[in-house]
Amino acid sequence: MITVAIIGNPNVGKTELFNRLTGMKQHVGNWPGVTVEKKTGTFTYRGEEIRVVDLPGTYSLTAQAADELIARNYIVDEKPDVVVDIVDGTNLERNLYLTLLLLELEANVVIALNRWDMVKERGIVIEVDKLSELLGVPVVPTVAPTGEGAEVLKEVVMKAAKEKEVRRKIVMGYGEDVERPIGVVEDAVRKDASLSGRYPPRWLAIKVLERDGQVLKLVEESPHRAEIMAAVK
Amino acid sequence: MGELLRDDAELILAERRYQAIADILESTLTKGEGKWTYTDMFDHVFLHKALGIPIFLAMLWAVFQFTFSLSEPFMVMIGMIFGWLGGLAEELIANPHLASFVAGGIFDGLGSVLVFVPPIFMLFLALSLLEDSGYMARAAFVMDRIMYKLGLHGRSFIPMMIGFGCNIPAIMATRSIDNEKDRMITILVNPLISCGARLPVYVLIAGAVFGAKYAGTVIFSMYLLGMVLAIVMALVFRKTLFKGKPSPFVLELPAYVVPTAKTTILHMWERGKWFLVRAGTIIFGTVIVIWFLSVHPWAATAGGEMIGNSYIASLGHFLEPIVRPFGWDWMAAVALLFGFLAKEVVVGTYGILLGVEEGAVGASLVSLGLFTPLTGLAFMAFILIYVPCVATIGVVAKETNSYRWAAFVVVYLVALAFIVSGLIIGIGRLLGFS
Repeated sequence: MITVAIIGNPNVGKTELFNRLTGMKQHVGNWPGVTVEKKTGTFTYRGEEIRVVDLPGTYSLTAQAADELIARNYIVDEKPDVVVDIVDGTNLERNLYLTLLLLELEANVVIALNRWDMVKERGIVIEVDKLSELLGVPVVPTVAPTGEGAEVLKEVVMKAAKEKEVRRKIVMGYGEDVERPIGVVEDAVRKDASLSGRYPPRWLAIKVLERDGQVLKLVEESPHRAEIMAAVK
Repeated sequence: MGELLRDDAELILAERRYQAIADILESTLTKGEGKWTYTDMFDHVFLHKALGIPIFLAMLWAVFQFTFSLSEPFMVMIGMIFGWLGGLAEELIANPHLASFVAGGIFDGLGSVLVFVPPIFMLFLALSLLEDSGYMARAAFVMDRIMYKLGLHGRSFIPMMIGFGCNIPAIMATRSIDNEKDRMITILVNPLISCGARLPVYVLIAGAVFGAKYAGTVIFSMYLLGMVLAIVMALVFRKTLFKGKPSPFVLELPAYVVPTAKTTILHMWERGKWFLVRAGTIIFGTVIVIWFLSVHPWAATAGGEMIGNSYIASLGHFLEPIVRPFGWDWMAAVALLFGFLAKEVVVGTYGILLGVEEGAVGASLVSLGLFTPLTGLAFMAFILIYVPCVATIGVVAKETNSYRWAAFVVVYLVALAFIVSGLIIGIGRLLGFS
């Protein structure tokens, strides 16, 4: 069975879109953190059953906040086939931050460009194809309350799930001064086969540089810890 | 890599990500020419620096005015039905014990609580409308501005808004606050937020002593008093028990939507049904105990006719000295004692003790001289402040993982209730009210 995780910033219409996809009935409130517990549902597309997991709404994926850690651990550990990142089209600057973090995690991302009606109402023009090309992921405009784009989204998600192995992977560069230490740590991390088998090495390297609590703990348990940490000392 | 060895590596990386986003958007995004959406227009008014808070307070006032005015005819209707059923039971049931149980216990006691189904549901209808339309998030936003200046965490306000419905889910909602100090403060002051269960007492007393015209405003003032006290106590706790600075808080404001009838009604029902559940369980049980104590010893009270000779009257007279300074009598003492279990019981207690038709409870509170506007106001304030219900205390114990904090909450709330009610009485008397 194909598993799809849904993620996005709080209040971008994530729960609504989740309901649209799965047809599950539940209350849609406005409080931040309405999705505290893990909600799952299923839908069938062209005879195939797809499981949908609703992740907590977050702005970031640090190890400091419980809800962010839940979302991040799910993506890292459960490796869903597709991660649908719901992005508020009227606020791309902030919303794409989470998208970049998901790409760093090497998640198989599909962007649902939500609030498409508001985007048009405000006279904002987004070149969807170009955005898709630059990020290296499919982008589907949606309007959660009316269900506009939901069918296209299902189709694109299916396609992304099937082409998981052959997808383009875009790596965002941090600039030379940052890339150098990333490269050093990454090389050290790769020497630990079990660690770099479980997590994307580049992501681990970035998190080591960021002094991410959870990743530092992982490194602590690695036989190569001295080497990895030496790279940032 | 010199620069990255410092702790701000995280900040530098975040900055670079935003730079990358800016680069991507440069070639893919053209912003609209400042076109105003309805959301922008509403926010311009609702989030206005000076007007935001007055608008929020006006909204709350309108909610209680709406709740009180619209539900009154329905309350009279339900009261009449229960009164009629009680009379019927007394006539038709031969066994005097059973007749007293059905008429006095069930219809007078439970009936006087169920009379408040209309205002409770109206309140939740109004709150659901505010929430589903997107306004509530704005209220949290405008309040956050002053709360943060006062040294309180912005996320604290959301549990406060939930507390208007019920303190139990509100205290559980504090789990979203990751700073332990911020969370503890929010839990400790949440019981001061006036929940739906306290509404029946306000409606009864305010309706009786202030009349229909001012009742809505008086009820609103109780909710306001609760919020002010919560903020004051939070400040006190911040300065004493939990020193430190609140962590900053981001709140996203959803676009306004016209709430659909289905969602709003469902939302109202979800929040309102606990009242019915409680009425059938804890309130029913407590009311039966009160009824039993009010008609026994059976011979001495002549089957509940002479309530002054009952066990409950003895208990009440024993406790009366504690509340006498506030101008309340033994019935109030009993009502407050049993009100520890659930606030609605206060109303049920008066229903039984006065033994009059449901619709007439308020009127006899005044005609018997049990409350004046001043003592009534002090009584409502006491009800507001002293311990919401046992279930809330249980949740405090569970969420703080400590019975000590639960005990602390009870002690500080009861003490605060005595202080505030005492101040109301004292100041009122100084101003010449009685």
